Amino acid sequence: MTEAVRNPRLHALGAASIELAEIVGGMGVLLARILVRIHKFDGEELVKNLYKMAVKSLPIVAVTALFTGAIMVIQAAVIVKRFNAEGLLGWGAGFGTLREIAPLLTALMISGRVGANNTAELGTMVVTEQIDALRVLAIDPIAFLIVPRFIAILATLVMMTLFADALALFGAAYTGQGLLGVEPMTFFNGLTGGLLDFGDVFNGLFKSFVFALVMALASCHFGLATKGGAPGVGRAVNASVVASAAGIFVLDYLVSFLG
Amino acid sequence: MLAFKNIKKSFGPKQVLNDVSFDVKAGECFFIIGASGVGKSVLIKHLVGLLACDSGEIWLDGEEISRFDEQQMGPVRKKCAMVFQHATLFDSMTCAENVALPLRKHKDMNAKDALAEAKKRLSVVHMQAFADRYPPELGDGMRKRVAIARALTVDPTYVLFDEPTTSLDPVSARRVDTLIRELCDKLGVTSIVVSHDLSSIFSIADRIVMLYKGKVLKIGTPAEFKATDNGIIQQFINGRAEGPMDL
Amino acid sequence: MSATTETHPDPSPPDATEGVEAELGFVGSIGAAFLDIAVAARELYSVFVRTLYYVFRGKRVKGAVLHQMNEIGVKSVAFICITMGFIGMILVYQSGLQAKRVVPDFTMLGATYLELLVRDFAASIGALMLATRVGAGIAAEIGSMVVTEQVDALRMSAADPIDYLVVPRFLASLVMTLALIVIAGTVAFCSGAATAYVFFDVRPDIFFNMQLVDVGDFLTGFTKCMAYGAAIPIVSSWCGLSTFGGSEGVGWATTRAVVNSSLAIIILNFFISAAGFLIFPG
Repeated sequence: MTEAVRNPRLHALGAASIELAEIVGGMGVLLARILVRIHKFDGEELVKNLYKMAVKSLPIVAVTALFTGAIMVIQAAVIVKRFNAEGLLGWGAGFGTLREIAPLLTALMISGRVGANNTAELGTMVVTEQIDALRVLAIDPIAFLIVPRFIAILATLVMMTLFADALALFGAAYTGQGLLGVEPMTFFNGLTGGLLDFGDVFNGLFKSFVFALVMALASCHFGLATKGGAPGVGRAVNASVVASAAGIFVLDYLVSFLG
Repeated sequence: MLAFKNIKKSFGPKQVLNDVSFDVKAGECFFIIGASGVGKSVLIKHLVGLLACDSGEIWLDGEEISRFDEQQMGPVRKKCAMVFQHATLFDSMTCAENVALPLRKHKDMNAKDALAEAKKRLSVVHMQAFADRYPPELGDGMRKRVAIARALTVDPTYVLFDEPTTSLDPVSARRVDTLIRELCDKLGVTSIVVSHDLSSIFSIADRIVMLYKGKVLKIGTPAEFKATDNGIIQQFINGRAEGPMDL
Repeated sequence: MSATTETHPDPSPPDATEGVEAELGFVGSIGAAFLDIAVAARELYSVFVRTLYYVFRGKRVKGAVLHQMNEIGVKSVAFICITMGFIGMILVYQSGLQAKRVVPDFTMLGATYLELLVRDFAASIGALMLATRVGAGIAAEIGSMVVTEQVDALRMSAADPIDYLVVPRFLASLVMTLALIVIAGTVAFCSGAATAYVFFDVRPDIFFNMQLVDVGDFLTGFTKCMAYGAAIPIVSSWCGLSTFGGSEGVGWATTRAVVNSSLAIIILNFFISAAGFLIFPG
């Protein structure tokens, strides 16, 4: 350590790689520890977290979904006008929404609200010794705190994506009517006319499940690894949000090619 | 019966505990005193497995527990409850829920019975009126009494108190003292108290150990401490700024 | 919980927040939500107007804007490149799949992708990423200054925190958002071109087709860059300045900054896209 670093750039690269390996490894170990205890979750904590994460996120997901649907129609509108194919509007807007945009944007919003919150809460519990207090009461912090949160985040994101799918299509249909004069029935016919099937919806839902997995692990990992008092909580939240966003994009890529 | 034998602990280059040994007898109210930062809290955290010592042995009722893992620590923690310096209640739960949590987890009670039992236990520490309030809304003294009620839910034989009266007003502090003394006298609990509050030390302690520079300076009764001619102890128990003690 | 309270009568009042919600009822809570939004909108407007005022009238601290440009811009380049690289690959792959189901003709894939990228995706998705990284950073920084009373100290020395804290971030963000989004678009286009070549056998020279990109697309995209560049620091600074309640408060402020900036981007996107479509149809 005391030896002078000969090549600072190389050194920084190495340090960054080790840090990345540490984070991914830490998340992997956390996943293993969660899975071992997955049957021992605390029902009361699960209900509490589901309420806090899912019910309280409804308004923000609703606003996001409605506007996203509308934006997708505006983007598709140019093409529809060019080819004068109104019947394709539903398919044009629906395909991207169901497979890509709704799961992605819902995940980003939920990551900002739920993931960041979760890290802040766990981080505060770490720096104020509340985790130690649990251990001293002979209560396993992973089983009591982390497992319910893990399950709640998974359930929340998948449910919210389904909800966002529906609302985005609704917003898209009525924007299509307002902007292009395409009847909502024509829009929905275009949607169900054989070019889109439940496979596309499932593809989107599977994606959101994968996003939830990375978000749950990242937010719990950074929360539990919080160090250094109050400023440490801020740093942990920031790290968790950035890691979740990057993780979501990388996994989106991988899942898109698999599905 | 609890015994620390030759405990050593350092954090990085800083040696905090250097060969600390003493015994605590069943049913006594035992105080660990010393200046801030001398490792009093560090020492009792070893007993509940929050820290692991570098070398040495900790004997609790005939078992050597210093190398126990998290799983083996479970029964030890039910036997030794701990009240943290800042009470450390769970902020997201009401006082009653805080007390009900260990009941629910360790006594096989359902949520409703646990809450009812929790309220009974809160009345023991005169906190039943605040059962449905959240900890951040309460004063330090109140939080500490709830923390004591929570620690007692597992029916421990040992209770560790980390600076129970620090940051409390004098009246709240004396109430907490009374509560600790009652635990020893009425329930036969062994209390191990980390403190530098002189009035607590001389009103409720049975025996005292004083730590200084990572070592045991003296073990004895309050009377023996008052009678000693050791300059450092005299400076500490009389609270003088000038004297032979270095910090 | 109420059942146990009845069996053990005690004088404690019910939990404060639950009590308020119960008193308001459903209609009342909707009203309260609207009041909250109205208050937030007014505060946001006030921060925005004061920022604009100080942009022209304030005293400039030397190097403050440059420092923020480094913080906001230079340090986000890697993050933006990675995320936009991936999103470019995903978008082209998805649109390729989509096109395959209708007409297996990929000659227009690049042209359509480039148009969408210029008009919307580069700016909007890039800005969403920036909201996460930059918004969280601004709110955390200003928020911790609030809770450690540094902002009050600024006020005591007769410096408006808006002038001192928000204006440099605002100016830096306006410039750097534009620059970052140009980078983001380029990266997304290149990764998209690579994907098209590997999966759909579209040669890069055919993929790079500017035929569909017109002035309207450029203007829409540019307006979006400016709007997002202004919105992210304003919304995040507002969240940071309204921090309360110590360390935990900073965590909440960060969360709110990310969520509110993202929402602001999505809502602005809707209005600018709609306006762009109406002004430059096709």
